Amino acid sequence: MSATGWFTLLPLFILGGASIAVMIAVAIRRSHALAVGLTLIGLALAFASLWVVAPETPRQVTALLIVDSYALFYMGLVIASTFAIVLLSHAYFERHEGNPEELYVLLLVAALGSAVLVASSNFISFFLGLEILSIALYALNAYLHTRRFPLEAGIKYLILAASSAAFLLFGMALIYAELGTMDFARIREMLTASPGASQVILLAGSALIITGFGFKLALVPFHLWTPDIYQGAPAPVAAFVATVSKGAMFALLLRYFYWSGSHHFGAVFLVFTVIAIASMVAGNILAMMQSNVKRVLAYSSIAHMGYVLVAFQAGGRLAVEAVTFYLVAYFITTIGAFGVVTMLSNSEREADEIADYRGLFWRRPVLASVFTAMLLSLAGIPVTAGFVAKFYVIDAGASSAIWLLVFVLIVSSVFGLYYYLRIVVAMYSGLHEEAAAPSSSLLPALSAGGGFVLAVLTILLVWVGVYPATLLQIIHSTVGRAL
Amino acid sequence: MDAVWPIGLYFVLVVLLIGAMLVGSYVLGQRHDDRATGSPYEGGIVSEGSARVRFSARYYLIAMFFVVFDLEAVFIFSWAVAAKEVGWPGYWEIVIFIGVLVATLAYLWRLGALDWSGEPRRRREGKAMPQKL
Amino acid sequence: MILIWLIAIPLIAGVLAWFTGKWSKQAPRWISLIAASIDFVLGLVLWSRFGSEMRLAGNPRWVEQVNWSWVPQLGIRFHLALDGLSLLLLMLTFLLGIISVLASWREIQDKVGFFHLNLMWILAGISGVFLAVDLFLFYFAWELMLIPMFFLIAVWGHENRVYAAVKFFLFTQLSGLLMLISILALYVIHHHLTGVYTFEYESLLGTRLAPHTALLIMLGFFVAFAVKLPMFPLHPWLPDAHTEAPTAGSIILAGLLLKTGAYGLLRFVLPLFPHAAHRFAPVALVLAVIGILYGAVMAYGQTDLKRLVAYTSVSHLGFVLLGIFTFNSWALDGALMGMIAHGISTGALFMITGQLQERTHTREAGRLGGLWATMPRMGGAALFFAMGSMGLPGLGDFVGEFLVLIGTYEAHLLGLTIATSIGILFSTFYALRFVQAGFHGPNSNNWSVQDLVPREVVMLVPMVAILIWLGIYPQPIFNTFRSTRQKIEQYASLHVGPQQAAQSGRAATTIDTLPSPPWGRGWLAAGVFTSRREPGLRPPKVAYAPELQRRSGSCPQAGEGVAEIVQKESVKSAQSADLIPENTK
Repeated sequence: MSATGWFTLLPLFILGGASIAVMIAVAIRRSHALAVGLTLIGLALAFASLWVVAPETPRQVTALLIVDSYALFYMGLVIASTFAIVLLSHAYFERHEGNPEELYVLLLVAALGSAVLVASSNFISFFLGLEILSIALYALNAYLHTRRFPLEAGIKYLILAASSAAFLLFGMALIYAELGTMDFARIREMLTASPGASQVILLAGSALIITGFGFKLALVPFHLWTPDIYQGAPAPVAAFVATVSKGAMFALLLRYFYWSGSHHFGAVFLVFTVIAIASMVAGNILAMMQSNVKRVLAYSSIAHMGYVLVAFQAGGRLAVEAVTFYLVAYFITTIGAFGVVTMLSNSEREADEIADYRGLFWRRPVLASVFTAMLLSLAGIPVTAGFVAKFYVIDAGASSAIWLLVFVLIVSSVFGLYYYLRIVVAMYSGLHEEAAAPSSSLLPALSAGGGFVLAVLTILLVWVGVYPATLLQIIHSTVGRAL
Repeated sequence: MDAVWPIGLYFVLVVLLIGAMLVGSYVLGQRHDDRATGSPYEGGIVSEGSARVRFSARYYLIAMFFVVFDLEAVFIFSWAVAAKEVGWPGYWEIVIFIGVLVATLAYLWRLGALDWSGEPRRRREGKAMPQKL
Repeated sequence: MILIWLIAIPLIAGVLAWFTGKWSKQAPRWISLIAASIDFVLGLVLWSRFGSEMRLAGNPRWVEQVNWSWVPQLGIRFHLALDGLSLLLLMLTFLLGIISVLASWREIQDKVGFFHLNLMWILAGISGVFLAVDLFLFYFAWELMLIPMFFLIAVWGHENRVYAAVKFFLFTQLSGLLMLISILALYVIHHHLTGVYTFEYESLLGTRLAPHTALLIMLGFFVAFAVKLPMFPLHPWLPDAHTEAPTAGSIILAGLLLKTGAYGLLRFVLPLFPHAAHRFAPVALVLAVIGILYGAVMAYGQTDLKRLVAYTSVSHLGFVLLGIFTFNSWALDGALMGMIAHGISTGALFMITGQLQERTHTREAGRLGGLWATMPRMGGAALFFAMGSMGLPGLGDFVGEFLVLIGTYEAHLLGLTIATSIGILFSTFYALRFVQAGFHGPNSNNWSVQDLVPREVVMLVPMVAILIWLGIYPQPIFNTFRSTRQKIEQYASLHVGPQQAAQSGRAATTIDTLPSPPWGRGWLAAGVFTSRREPGLRPPKVAYAPELQRRSGSCPQAGEGVAEIVQKESVKSAQSADLIPENTK
């Protein structure tokens, strides 16, 4: 093991170091601002270190981790999203009683787990990263432990994530038992080298691994936890669950199935097709029945993961780039949407009923415009990142001629449009009854950090939506080259 | 496929057996819904109090400390066995590991997790020191 | 660059209007009015500069364009281009833009700034649709114009506004997404054939498609445009959206948004998929005629005046669809004229209904009536535009409908022609019912309301003038459209085969070689009755392309007449030689 090998893990070291530093700082002096400041510095350093590391890539560090441009891109995405979520959390927990400082330790640990996931090339590191991420998330979900819903969310997440991890382990064990390796690339070699391997066991292993992925990505039929967790968890934490944890998992999904070649199994392809269709249809239809904004976002995230699967199914380099582009757009949009929910929540409850948004535009035009932009982006309307992303996904689907999936995507996304429009309409309604006071006084002042995050996200949203060439170029030269 | 069929058969038999048990008891069992059916003792003794006994939070704390430090001892022990083979990188890894442990210990100490008597803790609370645990 | 300004001015004006709307209610109105007027003047400048070029055959396709790189990785370019068709529709856009700003001058009192933001952005989006020749950009603009329209209906609409707005949005969005699949399918197939990723209209024109694929892809486009148009079974969003929208929204919906559908058919469906379009034509024609009759009957049955006017749009746009899928010069000219005249006359009718509602707070036919006595000027205007709508000779709608009828007759679609004529008869009923319900009869409710104020007169007079001008001297419109139309005909294989010309034993003549009286084709349309009796002047039969191929047994040669001249000239220019579809080479 050479020195440079370790050196390329610098972003991971910085993330880990930052979490310990924040923990010690909390022990020495309990201050919200100090904890947030240290966390942000740590994330910024980790982000900067990506460029320091970049010239050394691609490099396999031990048998477990690979640091290539693909991993670095996703690490950047994870770190930047965590940065935004930390700022939102600061705004959110400033208004809450209790001790918010440990939250940042947990967020850093969760980011570390995600970063390990995107860099893993082996079942062991895969499981390691997953557990680091999950254990931090149990505590994050239940962070407001004196309230009912967060506690419920934490316990549900604990049970379901643990059982999905068990599925995953079993699947890995089956494949290891049959092929004798845990390395993704080796699995491919073994698959071609040993045609005598039992297809039944390999397929059973793949199915169990898909189950594990399905739980984490909240794909139908493994989605039952999602709405409750989203509703119960504090809004910034829900944003983290929706974006960073799913994004990292998807990055790994791509790497695993493309590297190991399991994607070429007819049965695996079929299973993913069924899951994608079920996720798109069920996610969108169930979302139409919700009256809680966070639950709507939960179901819509199920549908969005279905859309990403469409691109995943397309296969090839275009698919990798389309998935990545979609995930970036989805990150921007989802963090933005939860950011607005965060901004509107007060210390007693969260602004999560659609009724809370009635006439918001006439009271808080800027915030409502931002939320509108985010929702339209989720719906895939032009000038937003979501439009280009959906376009790219359909493009990938069309290139591989998977017309069934593309068609389901189109039709189900029209259902999607309906529930996004419902929230949008609520925000712009009540033009003539302006005098009537809003039902609850959900009008906290916009904090500087939160406002900054929303401003940056909105600018990014429009920039990517209008001029996607830059982002495409970045993705093309990093992610596209690696897989 | 040949090697697997006994497992498959076993699986099917298990499912059938359990199914038969469930269905059989459902069909054959008697059902009644009287006044006392739902109470714990149908003999007529009225139960008193809650069955849910609250353990002291310290109980969990001790349990967790035990698990954490015991497991860590296992890791350090396994390093010690292979110390020669893993060389300097292994040495630095275990140093980092112990360092993190020490930091965590310091954190817990500072939070008052190790104050058994409860006296100093209350004193600090009097000084408006925010507490997590 | 001037094309960029056409789009940028409303965009900027919209933002300005929003900001100034916080302090003043008047400022946004004036800003929007000035912006729309500047655009209108720019349009006039373009027309006077390029008008003469557009009437010549064989010109370069675009008289003005902007072509920037946008997303090179995907072959997307920011390509705007102007030809006669887009210019005419842009003029209509800005004219109706001015009108709709004026129409909402008094009606809109809440959130004036935000209203004008939406209004201006719709205009920008529509301009984008008319100018974009990169298919991605086109789709971008196509979707973009929906959002402000949605807000316009959902925020400032009438009683049932949210339902109408959502319905409108879902209909157009679903159909738009089908078009997106088609665009991407075309893009991918073009890449497979040539190895080039491009959304460029001109590059995609010659793409060879298997007949079955072409039909499927064409249907994606067709559905998107037919929903907008709206074609008969796809129209249910229209009555609701038109009725619930504020006046400016109704004017823009009827006058412009419906035209984007017809524009799409002309610009994309016919040239990109000529064979598929020919195969599909019988269905489209029958649906068009059903739409004409259905719209007219439904309009007659309405008691809500605004809904009545809304249903007339279904009927009128049926004529446009009929004209487009008849595939001959008469009918294409007629379709274009129908689009423009419908924009103005229906826009005016919506405006009058809006003014009525502003004054009486009702649109119910039963509660109105007898208003002529109290407001004769408005009554006169209503009568005038109702006459226009029913196709009174001398007004623009007549020219359009008549040319379509002739075209249909020439294409030997006798049954359809007869049915369509019945539709025109029905239009008399609903037009008269509109006037009768509103203005005639006893003033049983004792209405006593203000007649037109000067601002409203200023709005109506130019529309009256334009409608008369279109009816009496439509030739400038046809001249401007000519070069584009010939391109459309050329790509849609709309030319006369030599065998056919030989069979008929007459010189192959198209409408453009007919000795045309100096006052233009509008009157010529009427004069066709005489020309039909003179064999030498009779326009040739126009056959569908599959028919042609069957007869000639191979790719048909270019025939004589103007269509051939066009082709010769375009073959000369190396640039366009590549663009001619396979079957004409």
